[in-house]
Formats: sequence, C-alpha cells, structure tokens
Amino acid sequence: MIYSKALNEALHRALGEDNRVVVLGEDISDPYGGAFKVSRGLTTAFPERVKTTPVSEQAIAGIAAGLALGGYRPIAEVMFGDFLSLCFDQLLNHITKYNAMYAGQTTCPVMFRAPMGGHRGYGPTHSQSIEKHFLGMPHLRVLAASPYHAPHDAFADFLAKDDPVLFVEHKLLYPKHLTLPENGAVGDFMARTESSPGVLPSVCLSLVPREDCALTVVAYGYEAQLAASVIEKLGMEEELFCELVVPAQIAPVDYAPIEASVASTRRLLTVEEGTAGWSWGVQIASSIQRTFFGKLAKPVEVLASQPTVIPGARRLEQEMLVGAHHIEQKIREALS
Amino acid sequence: MNDVIVPTSDVNSETGVIVEWKIADGARVESGDIVADIETSKAVIEVPVTTSGYLLHLAAQDAEVSLATAIARVFDTPEALEAYRATLQAELDEAAVRNAASGVRATLKAKTRAEELGVDLTTLDTSRLITVKEVEAAVAQNVDPATLPAPLKAPEDQERVLLIGGARGATQVIDIFRGNTTQTAVAIVDDDRSKWGTEVYGVPVVGGSDRIGPLFEAGAFDAVVIAISTSVKARAMFRERCAALGVPLTNAIDATSKVASEVTMGRGNVLCAFVQIGTSAIVGDNNFISAYNSFEHHNVLGSDISTGPACVTSSRVKVGDRCRLGTGIYIEPGVELGEEVRVASGSVLLKSVPAKHTVKAKVVTTVVVPNR
Repeated sequence: MIYSKALNEALHRALGEDNRVVVLGEDISDPYGGAFKVSRGLTTAFPERVKTTPVSEQAIAGIAAGLALGGYRPIAEVMFGDFLSLCFDQLLNHITKYNAMYAGQTTCPVMFRAPMGGHRGYGPTHSQSIEKHFLGMPHLRVLAASPYHAPHDAFADFLAKDDPVLFVEHKLLYPKHLTLPENGAVGDFMARTESSPGVLPSVCLSLVPREDCALTVVAYGYEAQLAASVIEKLGMEEELFCELVVPAQIAPVDYAPIEASVASTRRLLTVEEGTAGWSWGVQIASSIQRTFFGKLAKPVEVLASQPTVIPGARRLEQEMLVGAHHIEQKIREALS
Repeated sequence: MNDVIVPTSDVNSETGVIVEWKIADGARVESGDIVADIETSKAVIEVPVTTSGYLLHLAAQDAEVSLATAIARVFDTPEALEAYRATLQAELDEAAVRNAASGVRATLKAKTRAEELGVDLTTLDTSRLITVKEVEAAVAQNVDPATLPAPLKAPEDQERVLLIGGARGATQVIDIFRGNTTQTAVAIVDDDRSKWGTEVYGVPVVGGSDRIGPLFEAGAFDAVVIAISTSVKARAMFRERCAALGVPLTNAIDATSKVASEVTMGRGNVLCAFVQIGTSAIVGDNNFISAYNSFEHHNVLGSDISTGPACVTSSRVKVGDRCRLGTGIYIEPGVELGEEVRVASGSVLLKSVPAKHTVKAKVVTTVVVPNR
C-alpha cells in the first residue's frame, strides 16, 4: 500500500477509535481531500469532526490549541511544511508552554501534520525541510514518517500521551509503497526494531549482521530510503557494509539504538535533508562523540543540504539537496 | 497492437498505483472506454483506450506502474492477444528458471571470489546474504589435505622453494630455477581451487595459501618466492602473511642477469632474464623485475614492486614500495617515484612522481594497412 493511502487509513482509524480526534486543515474536504489526498474521504465519513479551515495557518494553530485545551485531540494538516513558520509563535509561546505555565492543570495535545521536502522542483518556499527550527523546542515531540514505520503508530503515540506533536511527512514518501519490517526483513535487508521505553522504535537495517558493518548511518524520512538504496548498492557490489538506523521520533532523540549500533561500528554518519548547521545531525554528533570519546575510528560525519535557498531548477536543486550521490560519497569517505 | 498509456502531464509523480481495472483482462474494449483508475500522489486518473479491440493487462491491480510506459495493450483479435501473452509468459518462465538457478543472494565480490576459489554458491547457507567471508570459510572447511598432492623431494644441497601463485608468473620462476644449480621449486600454492592437483612445468599445486604454514612446519620447503607478477597488492599481502608465519622469502635470480658488486639485495626478489642491477644499488624485498630491466648504479628500489619488460633507469633513481611499471619505460637520473605509483607503458619520466599517483602516457601508436 502506498504511504498516503496508509496515512489516510490511519486517520480514518484514529477518528473512528477516538471521539476526541478532530481533523482540520486547508482544502481537506471531499472531493478534493487535501493537496496530497491524505484527507480523502474524511469529511464524508466524519462530517462533524473534520473541518476545512480558512487559508490561515495562524487560525489553524489557534483553533487547534483551543480545541486541545477543551479536551479534544486536534490533528491539523499544514498544506506545505514551509508554512509551519506561521504556526511557530503559537507552538513556541503557547501550545508547548501551557502545561508547565499552568502547573500541570491543563494540557494542550495538538498534532501538526506537515508535508516537507524537495527533489520535486517546487522552488524555494514549497520544498524545504524546516523541522530543524522545531527540534529542541521544549515539550514538543517531533515524529518523522518513514517507509519502515506504520503511520498509525504515530497517531497512537499522540493519542496515548498528552504532549503536542509535529509529524513531518516527506512528500516524496506519499506515492511510495510502505515497506514495513516483516519476519525480521525489509527486502534484502535484515531488520530489527530497537527503542528506549515509551519511545516509538527505530528500525535498524543491514545486509549482514551488525558486527560485520563498518559504519552506522542514521537518517529519517525520505533520506532514510535514499540511504537504504545506497547502502544496498555498496553492500551488494563492493561489500562496504553499513547499518542504517531509522528513527520514528527525531526529537527528543532516542540515542539508545544509535549508540548500540555505533558501539559495534565505531563510525557514524548522519543524513538529513534540512540545511547544514544547527541541525539534527549536529546534535547527534555532539552527543555520540561525547559518549564514545576516544573510542570512535573516525569523527562523526554530518551530511545536510547546502545552507542556501532551494533553487527552482531541478538540476541545481539536485546539487543543493542531499541526494543519493552525496550519501554515497560520504559513506565512501567514512569507510576509507 | 496499441499501447495504453496513462494520460497525464503530472510532473509530481513518476509512478502510480492501479486502483482498479474497469475492464477485465482479455475483454473487448471500444475506443474511449475507461479501462483503469491509476492513483498518483496528486489524483486518481482515469485511463481510456484510444482504439478498439481486445485488452491485455500488463500489471495487476495494486501494482505500482510507470506513468511513462504502457500499462496495457490493445489487440485487433483475441488470437493476436493470446499469441502475445504466450510470448510474455515464455519470457517470464525463462526469467524464473534463471532466478531459481541463481536464487542465491550473494555480493558481487562473493561471486567473483567463489569463481576464483571454485566454490559452488548453492552449497552455502542461502538463507542469508553470502559475502566473501562465507565463501572463504566454506573453502577452509572443505579442504581434506589427504587428497592434495605432496611437495616434490629435492637433493640435500638444493634450496627447496615454495611458489605462491600457479599462473604464468610461476612458469617464469621455475624457468629461472632450471637455469641454476642451487634452487628447486618443490610445490605451488594457489587460492584458485580449480588449479589444485594440477602441475606447472612438473611442479604440483598442493592447495591454497592456507597450506603455507603447515607445510613449512612439516619441513617440506625452505623458502618462498611469490610468483605473482600482475598485482602488487597481492605481492604485499602474501609477503606480510609469510612474515607473520615466520616463513622466509628467497630470491630467484636468472643466470643471465647481472647484479653488480656492492649491491644490497633484499629477499624474495624475482629477476628475470638479462636484468641489470648497477653497482651500489639497493633493492628491497619481494620485487618482480621482468626481463631486460636495467636499474643503474645507485638506484634505490622499495619492496613489492612489479615491472614489465625493458624498463630502464638512469643513475640515482628511487622507486617506492608497491610501484607498478608497465613495459618500455625510461627514467631520467635522480627521478623519485613515491609509493604505489603506477606508470603507463612507453613513458619517459623526466621528473619525480608523488606517492599514489598514476603516470599516463600518450604512446605513439601505429596503423596497420594492407600491403600495396
């Protein structure tokens, strides 16, 4: 099943199983069903609890916050993740603070779903991966869609806890098949899940057992799928073996699965599509280098996109955003 | 036969998923009929046919299909359709047979190594990805030393030599020993299992390189010559293995070659016919020097070097470890080559080359025409 369909089913299920769930966003009503068709059928099945909003992200964030304070579980679709900047103030100064500011007397469990990412030629303001600006916001949990994680788990995690959540969905995953681990495998990869208690699991993929891998690669979302294709190619053709760790939760970082892998490989490469500097990978590198001081074979490598504006021209975009060729080059460097 | 292509200019999707076939496989269609719904990241697209005839599905429901190529074909008659289906099926069957035969998942390197070692991959554990490690482990397990030939015996006064590598390099080294009265090749080891039990110029290939240690301990030979001329990496690797095992290397110097006085000569060097080493030169270990090479006085050669025929140096030239020289190379006085330098045939080197660099040459080539 393709990812957008699985996501749509997960939304149907969340609405069906939990009466507190309210879905809102721009243009999500049938027959249009949202810019990426993720919300298709929801207004028909749950007309009372699925609402199209005016074209105002501020309004979406405010209404969602109010609903959450009132006991609902709003899931808000932001049409393009780039527009999350318009929700930033309410997330930073209100939604994530209420619980502490009111000494635990209230909670504000809002989930924002946001399609992110480029490689599509959508230009500077519809292609970004701006989640790094939300990482490290206290009391915000950031989850990332991946081909190896069932989207339903993200909603179940949101509904089971009382914190606000940002769910980052790379838009290139929508038309791709969901490839969940089955019988300990994903295609030619051996797959296992690892996690700390209470955190959505990370999926660890490798062609050979961990002890035969010389590098750990940690990546999420679409970049995880790109990294998997590179790792498979380098393994099958050249016996350069890496283990790929794909977290479902990117903030706060669950270090345990990464550390378990790095303890064996002694090398780490982080991959993200957001721009370089002050980023997810930098945070992980800092922690891993501290934990493994003196034990790493190489310094941790952080791969991120060039810190500039995403060009509209596809060829220029390919150079700027982290693609398979960049990942391959970094893996080769790390293993050289 | 007409192709049915998804009618879309969608730049957002390269593939779609067949949500539903509206018209069954093999059924009659009329031009304009909607035959399928395809879902892309943006929309569900209805796919019409533009000709009438009989419809052949090229993909199943729920399958991911390219938006650029045909998802179905329309034929004028049911017979034409069935004939085409039969060819498709035949191709599929053939592919299935191929896949069953090669149903083993192995890395490219493992496949190459299995060929070198003569290992049948289907005899290994096929439930996991096979790597070089598994292939080599399988070889180690399968060896029964009793079935392998024993090294030759040699008179007391002879140095008994084991050769590593049973290819053409071995023939050169054995030929060198035939021309002298003090050394005899008694055995060859080679990791290519298909060579085991065969002979090179009457010298038996007694097994793989894992036999070097046990044969030495058993007193079957006195020293080793690495008879691999093509790969400096392999030369270095086997030299290190011998050192780790405490097995000494010995030189194989052709009777026609001239090593001047005051030369410092290491061990494990192969000097083919008519090689000249000038006075006061220093030669490292484990170099394979082909015929008609001349290294002039006061040259310094490293170790694990391999050269082609007719390489000529002037005085005071230095050649670093693991350099690989082609055929017919001239090197000017005082030129220094760093480690792992590779030099193309026909080069004339006027200046030094830093380590890990390759010298390319534009050799004047000839043209062959019929006699007039």
